[in-house]
Amino acid sequence: MSGAVPSNASVTAPAVTAARQPVLRLKVEQASYAYAATDRSAPKFALGPVSFQAQQRELIAILGPNASGKSTLLTLIAGLNKPLSGRIEIDGVEVSQIDLRTRAQQIALVQQESELLFPLRVWEYVLQGRYPYGRRLRFESAEDCLHAGNALAQVGADAFRDRWMERLSGGEKQRVILARALAQRPSLLLLDEPTQHLDIGGKVELLRRLRRLADENRYAVLVVTHELDLAAEFCDRIVLLHKGKCLRVGMPAEVYERALLEEVFEAPLEVEMSPSGRPRVILRSGQ
Amino acid sequence: MSLAILARLFCWGEELNRARRRRVCITLIEMALIVGSAPSLAVAQTGNGRIVTDEVGRKVKIPPSVARIVTLAPNLTETIYALGLEDRLVGDTNACDTPAAAKSKQHVGDPQSPSLEAIVALHPDLVLATTSINRVDTADALKNLGIAVYTTDPETVRGMLDSIQHMADVIGVPKQGMDLVGKLQQRLDAVSARLSEWPMVHVLFVVWLEPLQTIGQNTFIADALRWAGAESVLVSRQKWPRLSIEEVVRLQPDYIIFTNDHGGEAATELADLRARPVWRDLDAVEQGHVVDVSEEVIRPSPGLVDVIEKLARQLHPRAFSEARAIRSNGNKSQTALASLAVAPIASRCAECDL
Amino acid sequence: MRPLTPQRVAWICIGLAGVLFAAMVISLRVGAYPIGVRDIVLTLVNGVLRHWDAIPAEFRDVIFEIRLPRILLGIVVGASLATAGAGFQALLRNPLADPYVLGISSGSALGAIIGLIVAPHTPGAIQVAAFVGAGVTTAAVYFLGRRGGQLDSSTLLLAGIVTASFLSAVIMFMMTTLSGRDLRGMAFWLMGDLASRPTVDSRWLYLVMIVAVGSIYTTASDLNLILTGEQEARHLGVNVNRVKLVVYVAASVLTGLAVSVSGAIGYVGLLVPHLMRMMFGTDYRLLIPTSAMGGAILIVLADALARTVVSPTELPVGAMTAIAGAPVFIYLMRRRVR
Repeated sequence: MSGAVPSNASVTAPAVTAARQPVLRLKVEQASYAYAATDRSAPKFALGPVSFQAQQRELIAILGPNASGKSTLLTLIAGLNKPLSGRIEIDGVEVSQIDLRTRAQQIALVQQESELLFPLRVWEYVLQGRYPYGRRLRFESAEDCLHAGNALAQVGADAFRDRWMERLSGGEKQRVILARALAQRPSLLLLDEPTQHLDIGGKVELLRRLRRLADENRYAVLVVTHELDLAAEFCDRIVLLHKGKCLRVGMPAEVYERALLEEVFEAPLEVEMSPSGRPRVILRSGQ
Repeated sequence: MSLAILARLFCWGEELNRARRRRVCITLIEMALIVGSAPSLAVAQTGNGRIVTDEVGRKVKIPPSVARIVTLAPNLTETIYALGLEDRLVGDTNACDTPAAAKSKQHVGDPQSPSLEAIVALHPDLVLATTSINRVDTADALKNLGIAVYTTDPETVRGMLDSIQHMADVIGVPKQGMDLVGKLQQRLDAVSARLSEWPMVHVLFVVWLEPLQTIGQNTFIADALRWAGAESVLVSRQKWPRLSIEEVVRLQPDYIIFTNDHGGEAATELADLRARPVWRDLDAVEQGHVVDVSEEVIRPSPGLVDVIEKLARQLHPRAFSEARAIRSNGNKSQTALASLAVAPIASRCAECDL
Repeated sequence: MRPLTPQRVAWICIGLAGVLFAAMVISLRVGAYPIGVRDIVLTLVNGVLRHWDAIPAEFRDVIFEIRLPRILLGIVVGASLATAGAGFQALLRNPLADPYVLGISSGSALGAIIGLIVAPHTPGAIQVAAFVGAGVTTAAVYFLGRRGGQLDSSTLLLAGIVTASFLSAVIMFMMTTLSGRDLRGMAFWLMGDLASRPTVDSRWLYLVMIVAVGSIYTTASDLNLILTGEQEARHLGVNVNRVKLVVYVAASVLTGLAVSVSGAIGYVGLLVPHLMRMMFGTDYRLLIPTSAMGGAILIVLADALARTVVSPTELPVGAMTAIAGAPVFIYLMRRRVR
């Protein structure tokens, strides 16, 4: 919990204050990582140190160009790799200390899906998100069905819950994959470059949905992306990475400085402020 | 024995074998008591039958009277007929075609996979099998069912004659066996005598033409050929070695032998070979020395002696015509010299360089 | 949303058990020896009550020594192969996988040939040698199929195919250069044959089969997840490496078991899981028990057919499954494409 309670507060104040205190879902403290590339002549890739926090109801973007270490940072947060130094905590517990199943109850990672081998219905797929709860060989309970149903509703996929997965369109499938992650009822929702294969309409729709999910639920949402405009428009905070270094953490308006962005993304850019207070990035013409 | 019984007290599946084993055990004890110290059980005829060892080393309990016989191979069927026991033959395989009457007997399947049930349905006293065509599994399965199976294992022609004698003994007609074996032996000896002064002819016995396959030294066929005065031109330890036509050209056999089931008579085979390149340049083909032999040559049965006689005549025409010449002219040495002069000269062998 | 319940699994299994029972009855009824249904029932009842004297010796022989052991063997072989097939299809992420794709049948056959040469008249030597051959092949393919210390599906598949080809070549070599007589039995064994009664008591076979099928069943939920993607399954908390190892070992044991007692019966491990998927869905919590039962039913019926179609000659049961299996396989393939 962040923030301190004033010592002369009344008895009820801490409860009220506590209710208003946002729950800290993720705390990344000086986390760093390094690995050697497979090609011996290439240099070692190093990430960090990175520090930032994510509270519930926040939508945070991990922003940077390709090969800036975004995905590596995500694997650290998801607990797939252990940081060489520093700490990463989920709900106050260090990630590497959590066992596999409990971690799956707290962190939901959404990746580009693999090809399904055998036909599967949408609701069956989403129900699999309930696996971390209960015994290994388990049959789903009514509660599981309830959560899966909720997840489907939240992504607006309830209408096609009985359809076959392989018959869905790209956008529909992505919603279902998201629903499965939501069925896990995590504390932290992680997405790795979710806008890759979508057109601009799809991208906006996705980010809007993530924004809404973040607002309406009690988890934190982290999106790894290189989409400057979308990140600025929808996210609460940006973590800017460049060549493995964490350059800046803060609100979009704080992070989007023209010189900084030009250096990171190596493109002629112009930063404007929109009326809503969010920066907009434009390609500078005449180059 | 009681330990075994205790150990299997709750095994219903083995109840049967146990019961049967117990009866055998009691029978043995009875026999031992009655007969006293019997050194060999092979000839004891008292009690519930006797125990013999068959040609693969299996102990077989033969019932006292063998009235119902099932054979699992064509050569065994032939032998039964030759011994005059066809009335006792209640079943054979659908490959048993010699003599023709055998085809009308009840069939139990083919020699490789006969139906156990069909055999059981015939209530045989004795089943005859042979290693040359039957599977070990079949004999084991029949033994497990308590049916007496006698397996023969003839590896040579003499072995075949011994097998015939053993079979006759087991069935209980040793004298008929001795008669048959005696006659067959006589005929074989007569052929041997005729060929005693003639060199062996080198032959290529064709098991299969494409790919070319012949017989090895240790096969039954090789032994039968030797009785007919022929030696396989290829020396090999394998049973059915493959060879290339080049090797045949190098070895230059005197005769080429085919079996009947190739579908053609000698004349057709010869014409066929004359049309093939490389083959047509072989000495044997040029001279027309292509011989057709009944497929009985593969079978260790009494009919084999007919085949040997016929083959001997074909391969050594002068050996048999000389005998006639001797009888008609009475001048042995003259014709002998003349025959020697035209006999196949310089029979090549596989190993030497000529 | 109707998730799978244990009750549904149980009901379907009971239904299939009924079908299996019917198949057993049919198989008991047919055969070269004429015996009516009434006599069969009497024999069975008296046999179970151990009133051996109440039935003619031949009825007893035919039912309890010939037909029933064969049926019981067929059940264990069919269940083993079908379950192993379902397991390998998940493990290798390949719907065309069958129990033999990893070379176990070739290794088993090679073991059997060596056993046949070394100890042709020792009862049971061949089966033990075949099982040892299967075990050695399983271990070899495991070590070849690893990547980064863990079983990798594509590497495993490649390792298995290469091993199978190599072993087949060795077998071909041995069969052409060694004595023809000794190896005649191999032709039947390589096709798949239930006629040879195993020297090991059937009860042990059943025990091993139940343990192995049970082991695979404990990973059924995990397999469902792994089939939607290995990485995704890991993120959901599945211990993917452990699951793969369990399935690999259990499915290999089942295959080795089946092949050592009856040779390489084909198509069962490939087709039965697909047929069961078509009928009951792809959920492995249901697929594993239904495959086991489906495999048993198929083998019992195929064997009954093999014994009667050209009676009194008995065809190897592998021939029947191939004849029936190939068209069914083609049909399934076309359905997928559509």
